[in-house]
Amino acid sequence: MRDLLVLFQKEWRENTRNYKILWIPLIFVFFGITEPVTNHYLPQILEAVGNIPEDAMFPFPEFTAAQILMSTMGQYQFIGMLVLVLGFMGTISRERKNGTGTLLYVRPISFFSYFLSKWKVVSIIAIGSVWLGLLTSWYYTELLFGNVPASDFFAFAGTYSVWILFVVTVVLAASAWLPTGGAAGVSLALVLVIQIIDSLLGTYWTISPWKISTYATQWLTGSPTMGDFWWSMAVTIIAIIALMIFGTWMSKRNASKTKV
Amino acid sequence: MEALQGISWGIIAPILVIQLILLIIALIDLSKINQTNGPKWLWAIIVILGSIWGPVLYFVIGRKQS
Amino acid sequence: MTLILQAEHLTKIYGAEHAVKDVSFSLAEKSSTALIGPNGAGKTTTLSMLAGLLNQTTGTISLNGETNPDVRKSIGFLPQYPQFFSWLTALEFTEMAAKLSGMDSKHAKIEAQKTLEFVGLGEALKKKTGTFSGGMKQRLGLAQAIVHKPKLLLLDEPVSALDPVGRREVMDLLKNLQQDMTILYSTHILNDAEEMTDQLLFLRKGELVEQGSLGDVRAKYDSPRYLVEFTSEEDALNFAARAPWKVSYRGTLGLIDITNGLPEMKDLLGYLAGSGLTVRKAERQTASLEEIFLKVAGRR
Repeated sequence: MRDLLVLFQKEWRENTRNYKILWIPLIFVFFGITEPVTNHYLPQILEAVGNIPEDAMFPFPEFTAAQILMSTMGQYQFIGMLVLVLGFMGTISRERKNGTGTLLYVRPISFFSYFLSKWKVVSIIAIGSVWLGLLTSWYYTELLFGNVPASDFFAFAGTYSVWILFVVTVVLAASAWLPTGGAAGVSLALVLVIQIIDSLLGTYWTISPWKISTYATQWLTGSPTMGDFWWSMAVTIIAIIALMIFGTWMSKRNASKTKV
Repeated sequence: MEALQGISWGIIAPILVIQLILLIIALIDLSKINQTNGPKWLWAIIVILGSIWGPVLYFVIGRKQS
Repeated sequence: MTLILQAEHLTKIYGAEHAVKDVSFSLAEKSSTALIGPNGAGKTTTLSMLAGLLNQTTGTISLNGETNPDVRKSIGFLPQYPQFFSWLTALEFTEMAAKLSGMDSKHAKIEAQKTLEFVGLGEALKKKTGTFSGGMKQRLGLAQAIVHKPKLLLLDEPVSALDPVGRREVMDLLKNLQQDMTILYSTHILNDAEEMTDQLLFLRKGELVEQGSLGDVRAKYDSPRYLVEFTSEEDALNFAARAPWKVSYRGTLGLIDITNGLPEMKDLLGYLAGSGLTVRKAERQTASLEEIFLKVAGRR
């Protein structure tokens, strides 16, 4: 497993030097701030920007602190997912396409270490970004809207982290399997499209990785149904492990497609 | 602009700081990178004028990675 | 002579196309072998199979007597156009390569530095590889292939992308390495093959059409001749007309080939001395690899 350490270092250097370690967390923090701030100042902003006639002014709903954190997560569920998919879709496929992978594949590395090194680095960046963003949002929510108890917040962010790991694993496995474009397509379909389908038709089932984000938000207002929650967690973790095995297998199988 | 006077700038400042950092990182990277997808000057404009999305678009699409 | 690698009936089929067809050869320890053939002959495919990047459709590869082993532990590989992570420095990359091939961190760093100096990149250790020229990349490619001191070095067109000076230097480096390693390299530049080779493998359309030592192959395809140059065209004509051997001449330079019924050199010189003709030069010529190559390539 020494190759894991060496490959991890390589991957870390890559993401430091292409600034992903900076810009991805900054995006999440950005939305972590803007979500509470814009919601809080929405009346003033509208008044300053628009020529809204007095009688057209409608009463703004008063948001609760929990709703603000949920809406931050809502932003992450679209923009955040887009950033993660587009930011990491080429992690493996690009190394095959441009031939940089060749000089790794001819060395006695295990493809599990190869996949895992990337998975670890991308997971650290993704989870780190989400936590930084949510913590900032929590702080601003406290400042502008009111208190969300720490226990609620940590249950919420912890649960949501499992979904983020699932997304990261989907993106990397797709990148191991397909060329970059295909990897992006499959990832977006699995992360965004199925998410929408699940929210539309999902009342028929209660156990799925796409339910995790919903269960995460339920910690803020009470608690999710325990059976459904734990089963969904278990299914998601099993899916993550299965996708990691698939990704390792695909990295190995597709190594022969590297540009020589 | 009177309506905006109720806004505490201490709260808004971090948003602007993040935008500024992203802008600077993107411009530094743009100046150092060998090649971009499409002309460099165009990316410079996008980065500068594109608010938060300029730098993000640059990092996701503009950067030619190897 | 210990055999380090044996390839038997190697075949690679893509769809309906035979990229490599029933190729068998062996490599002796610390020998150097040139894989020659025109573009598209299957050189890169053959090397990729030996490097473990491609699985052969049929056939076996044995390394040190072990059949179909994990070759990656014993080889160093240089692709034709090596690609590097542009954001790593030459030293970082070479060090990583050494570590991935099993060297411990301390040795990896020392060896990486030594190897880079050996290939002439001593000045560029801390430069990002993204800024490297084609020639520097080729040298770095060589460095990463040898840093872990592999038993078998596989090189795909190691010098063809280099300018004449660079080519000279890299050929000298390779000759140096041959003392410790078995080298198999492909090339379509025949002067390079002629310079450093114990064995020649001619590939043509995926098939191994000829193999053997340079001497053997030369003996088989050589048509030796003498070339006599006179100072005047008149003497050349006279020689062609009167000499006791079948002689042809061409051009106004007074060049004469003695192609058939080859005499001993001393007989030729004796004849020329007594002929009263003014000779500028007389030499025995052997076919260059280029000529042999054309013959082998045109044989079928």
